[in-house]
Amino acid sequence: MKFNWKPYILTLLVLLILFPFVYMVLLSMSSEWRFPEILPSYFGLKNWLKILSSDTGIFSSFFISVSISLSVATVSTLSGFFISRSVAYHPKKKALTLLTYFPYILAPVVFAACLSYFFLKMGLFGNITGIIVAQFMITFPYALIFFSSFWNERTRNLEDLVATLGGNTLQTYVKMLFPIAKGMLLICFFQTFLISWFEYGLTSIIGVGKVQTLTIKVFLFIKEANFYYGALSCCLLIFPPVVLLYLNKKYVFNKLI
Amino acid sequence: MKNNFSHIGLIFFVLIGVVPFGAAFIYALLYSFGVVGVLNTGFTLQYWETVIASGEVFKSFGYSALVAGISVVISVSIALWLALHFRKEFEKKFLSYMIYLPLAIPGVVAAFFTFQLFTKAGFFSRIVYNLGWINEARYFPDLVNDQLAIGIIITFITVVMPFFVLLFLNVYKNERLDKLSELAHSLGASSKEVLWKVSLPVILRKTWNLIALYFIFLLGAYEIPLILGQESPQMLSVLIVREIKQYDLNKISEGYAVAIFYTIVVTLIVSFIFTRKNKTLHEI
Repeated sequence: MKFNWKPYILTLLVLLILFPFVYMVLLSMSSEWRFPEILPSYFGLKNWLKILSSDTGIFSSFFISVSISLSVATVSTLSGFFISRSVAYHPKKKALTLLTYFPYILAPVVFAACLSYFFLKMGLFGNITGIIVAQFMITFPYALIFFSSFWNERTRNLEDLVATLGGNTLQTYVKMLFPIAKGMLLICFFQTFLISWFEYGLTSIIGVGKVQTLTIKVFLFIKEANFYYGALSCCLLIFPPVVLLYLNKKYVFNKLI
Repeated sequence: MKNNFSHIGLIFFVLIGVVPFGAAFIYALLYSFGVVGVLNTGFTLQYWETVIASGEVFKSFGYSALVAGISVVISVSIALWLALHFRKEFEKKFLSYMIYLPLAIPGVVAAFFTFQLFTKAGFFSRIVYNLGWINEARYFPDLVNDQLAIGIIITFITVVMPFFVLLFLNVYKNERLDKLSELAHSLGASSKEVLWKVSLPVILRKTWNLIALYFIFLLGAYEIPLILGQESPQMLSVLIVREIKQYDLNKISEGYAVAIFYTIVVTLIVSFIFTRKNKTLHEI
């Protein structure tokens, strides 16, 4: 009888996937975990309770990150949806799409370093508005690329049909385009939220350390060698995306390919 | 009316999507030639000459390309193996969710996690010590901030590989590779021939653009090499930011010269990828 090794590999794979999540939670609930102990000497909710009461700033960082990501995701999804129509129906669509890729493909941190002079001149350096604008410049091209496949021949025919039946531009959007694009709008919102949520390099340059999002906080704790709070920040950074991924996993990749 | 609406859309596209990139590029170019900048007095090739003569940018580029290349090759190989061997298992409800979970881990968390596991006082060092294989933490091998970039490569693989698994699974499904394989089998092909002459060529041809794009993403990665990298050579983004953001104002122009070099190289690669057969990402 042939030996079936697949269940063992799959079990190992599941353990490997879960390991970072378990380890981060374990580390965030530990203290005084010194070498060479394999398990921490303290394990409890002390660190988690501290973030509610003390001035670690993790909780405020969480809310700053949420507000930045929500703003970036909302603005880039809506603007990407409207503007991608003009790009997709343009005769030079391919050249315009190619232009769209560059700010997105270039390392955001290099892009931000080159743009920092303009942010400084416009008074957008070291504040939340500046970070929202900077992240928007990265998420907007993503939204544009994402929606370009939506504006196809079928959508155009439907638009023409609404116009033939007497519908105006507002009615075309409200009664026809938004309902059929609902799923894509939601996925784009999730994706741009995640891009913003995970962003570090660009945020650190434009925020100059004054705006402490969760990713910036993780770095600060690493520099301070405060790994317990670092892990706690990581947990707060990981769990919202887990929920979002659960909500939209069915749609993401089918739309991307 | 509709035409006006379309024009407004295009104007916004240029303002948001093109102008910032153009402005950033021109500013960096002028800075690198000494035309603008705090201590600069006028056009000079001095900064470019210094950058080229020091050779650090080429070393850094080669190092980044090697690290990104190794990471992509290993990630694609493991992902292909997993996607082709466990395709049916990944369709089950529990596993179909599990394989999406790694996507929730950002680069900064992945780097922090690798650091916690592989540092000299990290989790694996403790296990090895308790097994009696080493007497002191310092005998544990250098796996982070190391010369061979092992920590960076491990983290890149863990970040990129899950995406490739999902990508290959979808391509397998969309291209109806199961039907193609059945057909090849019925025409007398062996399992090995089906793998090498049907499945792999179809998947790789369909996804090579995305694989190339991921190579570029890793080439410009910042936070992972920042946490797990060494002082020299540094990966490109880390080097550029270090030069531009340092206190020695004379060095800033050199930083912008490196940024321009990087931008031109990436632009050429991307143009080659997308102008080849006139394919764009969503047409792949």
